[in-house]
Amino acid sequence: MNTVYGSQELCTNVIGKQLCIGCGACIDLCPYFRSYKGKTSMLFPCTLQEGRCFSYCPKIEVDLDKLSQRLFGHLYDGNPLGHYISVSMSRAGESVGSGQFQAGGTVSAIMEYVLSRGYCDAVVVTDREKLLPIPRFVTQPEEIRTCSSSKYTAAPTLSAFHGAMKEGFKQIGIVGTPCQVLATAQIRSNPMDEKDFHDPTGLVVGLFCTWALDYRAFESYISTRIDKDGIEKIDIPPPPSEIMEIYMTGGDKVSIPLNEIRKLVPESCSYCIDMTSEFSDISVGVMEGRPEMNSLIVRTERGRRIIEEAQRDGYLIISDMPQENLEHLIWAAGNKKERALLKSTQENIVNTTQEDRLSYLRINRETLNQYSV
Amino acid sequence: MSYLNDKQEGSVHLLMGNEAIVRGALEAGMRVAAGYPGTPSSEIIEAFSKVARERNIYAEWSTNEKVAVEVSSAASFAGLRTMCVMKQNGVNVASDFLLHLASSGTRGGMVLVACDDPGALSSVNEGESRIFARLVEIPLLEPGDLQEAKDITKRAFELSEELRNLVMVRSVTRMSHASGNVTYGTLPDTTTQADFKCNGPMFDPDNGPVISMVVGAAELQHGPQQEKLRKAARLFEDCSFNTYTGPKSPELLIITSSACNLYSREAVKLLEAEDRVGILKLATTWPLPPNLIRNNLSRTDKILIVEEVLPVLEEQVKILAAEMTPEIGAKRFFGKNAGNIPSVGELNPDIVIDAISSILDIPYKTISKTFSDAVNALAQRAAPNRGLTFCPGCPHRASYWSIHNALELDGRKGFVCGDIGCYVFGTLPSGFSIVKTLHSMGSGTGIASGFAKLKQFGMDQPVISVCGDSTFFHAAMPALTNAVHHKSPLTMVILDNRGTAMTGFQPHPGSPNNVLGEEMPALDIEAICRAMGALVEVQDPFDTEATEKAFHRLIEHGEGAKVLILRQACALSPERRNKKNFEVKIDEEICLGESCGCNRLCTRIFGCPGIVWDKEKGISKIDELICVGCGFCADICPAGAIKKKEVA
Repeated sequence: MNTVYGSQELCTNVIGKQLCIGCGACIDLCPYFRSYKGKTSMLFPCTLQEGRCFSYCPKIEVDLDKLSQRLFGHLYDGNPLGHYISVSMSRAGESVGSGQFQAGGTVSAIMEYVLSRGYCDAVVVTDREKLLPIPRFVTQPEEIRTCSSSKYTAAPTLSAFHGAMKEGFKQIGIVGTPCQVLATAQIRSNPMDEKDFHDPTGLVVGLFCTWALDYRAFESYISTRIDKDGIEKIDIPPPPSEIMEIYMTGGDKVSIPLNEIRKLVPESCSYCIDMTSEFSDISVGVMEGRPEMNSLIVRTERGRRIIEEAQRDGYLIISDMPQENLEHLIWAAGNKKERALLKSTQENIVNTTQEDRLSYLRINRETLNQYSV
Repeated sequence: MSYLNDKQEGSVHLLMGNEAIVRGALEAGMRVAAGYPGTPSSEIIEAFSKVARERNIYAEWSTNEKVAVEVSSAASFAGLRTMCVMKQNGVNVASDFLLHLASSGTRGGMVLVACDDPGALSSVNEGESRIFARLVEIPLLEPGDLQEAKDITKRAFELSEELRNLVMVRSVTRMSHASGNVTYGTLPDTTTQADFKCNGPMFDPDNGPVISMVVGAAELQHGPQQEKLRKAARLFEDCSFNTYTGPKSPELLIITSSACNLYSREAVKLLEAEDRVGILKLATTWPLPPNLIRNNLSRTDKILIVEEVLPVLEEQVKILAAEMTPEIGAKRFFGKNAGNIPSVGELNPDIVIDAISSILDIPYKTISKTFSDAVNALAQRAAPNRGLTFCPGCPHRASYWSIHNALELDGRKGFVCGDIGCYVFGTLPSGFSIVKTLHSMGSGTGIASGFAKLKQFGMDQPVISVCGDSTFFHAAMPALTNAVHHKSPLTMVILDNRGTAMTGFQPHPGSPNNVLGEEMPALDIEAICRAMGALVEVQDPFDTEATEKAFHRLIEHGEGAKVLILRQACALSPERRNKKNFEVKIDEEICLGESCGCNRLCTRIFGCPGIVWDKEKGISKIDELICVGCGFCADICPAGAIKKKEVA
């Protein structure tokens, strides 16, 4: 039984409560929700009692047991890294053309691979126009590299997923942050009980994320320090560096302490319990102490098969993750989950039972006990 | 030849009240007419323009009403008869100059025609121009029927020359826009040449400079000005336009003027009370002739004053009655103050009947409620269920659409200050309710200039103003200069629909021609705003994507005043009328109707009357009879169901 309401409830309980991160799950489905500079707005009231906007949103009535059951065949168990088949290290292999990657280039390599092998007919990525992240979908492997590199600001990436659906693509690949991947999982669970439903995704690649920046706050912060039109690349090197590096056209590099940047993280991120995009097929992140490598988590059979083939065909080079790194990853992901669960329960937006209040998450008691909340 | 120009004395023509006023001016040999469009006055200047060549008249639509009076006064100073024309609200605009003009006096006969709009049928407020005659201290005449509209206008020019001052003629909607038979007088052959004699001594009314300057010496000009009014009152004692109808000593005396004269006559007739009620119809309502009033008040003890808008007549009559009490005794007054006549809205015969029948206790059976309810129900069934909205294909709807969406997306709670034009509907759902202040011409930009300076008090949201192209020239330019000079970070949107559209496409200073059809230099709004120092962009509001982007650019630009000109001709303009750019069709297979993904965006939100909701089929369809083919709806349909095909 799905709990589905409409846009009014979405506005009240998500946008109105600072829970909206602007993932784009409600954008481009209809003319009412639109995103501008990272912020989601409802232009006009919609009177429908049930809407896809509500049912896809990763911040309202997200039933983790239901999603976990659907994607992984068991109830949500609160594992800090989510359900997985393997955790390892990886980087792009020789078969991938050269280009600008972030860290090991694993994500670009996988996405190029699935497009060139036909596992996906389109791939949703987040491009950048100056500082502003621009969601788009691409259909050619060589287009992937033009969109690589991290953005660090929240983006309505899912809008391009809806765009690809409208264009008739049926095996859509997507690269997204945990909130975007969670929204994708909701879409995949057919929340509106559509007849003849089929999973529109070809491969879901999740990114590790501890927080994203509010675009508008970041733009206004950065504009007072540098010419934002001259930004070439932004990077946050793996811990313990604690800085954001901004590479400018002309070769200059500006470093900004993360303490400054963290002030620009929206409230919404502090409720997020997911560091490693737990509802993906494959999740990828940086490797602590190894800037040229990625962490790689394989979660589903579909993900495992594609990774193996990509490795076989020289798109990926994979090695074991040192135990120390794995333990630290679990520790960091568990920390995020614990903090967010504590805050969400304190704010009374988990498993709410009042009739006038909707829940952000539905989580089983065992998981809550595990994190002592 | 225009029927207004018929030289045949005694010929009878069916004229609209405004045309009767024009004919009166022609019979008076008027040479120069200037005005600013405004309902219900607009037909007057237009009628002058039609006979301008034949009668050797100069007519113009001036930039605003104050300038119209100034242009007109020049003709008077040069010895020509002249008329300035405006709606009531225009008198407010002109009032500063009017006060000076009444002080300096006039030479050639000069008449100010003010057309009031009781009930504010076509106005944003229910104003009263008669007050200005008192304030400015000039005589006021009010025609009581259509023949008088002509005759009193002609008389007003003569009176102006007798008094050497401006005379005001006040009409109302039901006088200006009603039609009736008017018997013509003679048309003079006028050969007067313009000659401004200004080299004589100061204060010489015929040859001196014409100045309004009484600094520290009020008696020099204000004294003679008031003497002119006293002279007017003396002349009005014998004015044949003031008439009494009824028994010598009626039970009730109605004192009335203007269209209310007609309502009063009809009411008395319907009540069959001709032998009980007398009607004193006054044409000279300021200053009142005291003897005439005394003689009529002496007829009875019950007085009912019937007038629209403010109790101007009522108060003046009461003042005289109070002064005359020793001679005529105490009177009992009925009217607005006593609650017999409503203090707002238009009057009609039924209202006057109610007043008379309650005062005299005459039973009167009005139309039965069942019947009137049935008529209303029938009317509602036959008429489409539509709120106040823009016409199909109106560029204002498109402009407001983009502004609304951009403001919502911007998310900083920006708002719009509006002013007068069709775009007042920005206050209503048809304009997506984004206009939050609405006052006089040009005031939106002045108010916005102020709002945008409140940042130091914590008000940090985008401030937008809208104004029309004609309004830009009329009153918004000073407000924009203020904003630019004070670095007020507003965004002014000029809704340039190529003419004074609301009142009927009168040309304005941005038009390539004047009211006489002659080629004129069109002032470039864009260049003016740039020259003032504003950051300016121009867009076509039918290109919603480009308009929205431009709007974002401007409201996100922090410093100083910005201007966005949204240029697209009014759908009813001669330029666009009967010309479809697109054939628009809705693909029934694609239309999402009420489903998730649309939920009737076009008919529920956008609201162009050219699209209608087919409830049975659950889809939208184009009303081909009224769709003007602008194609905008095709650009906003989320499903791409609305198809537009360019018309070759």
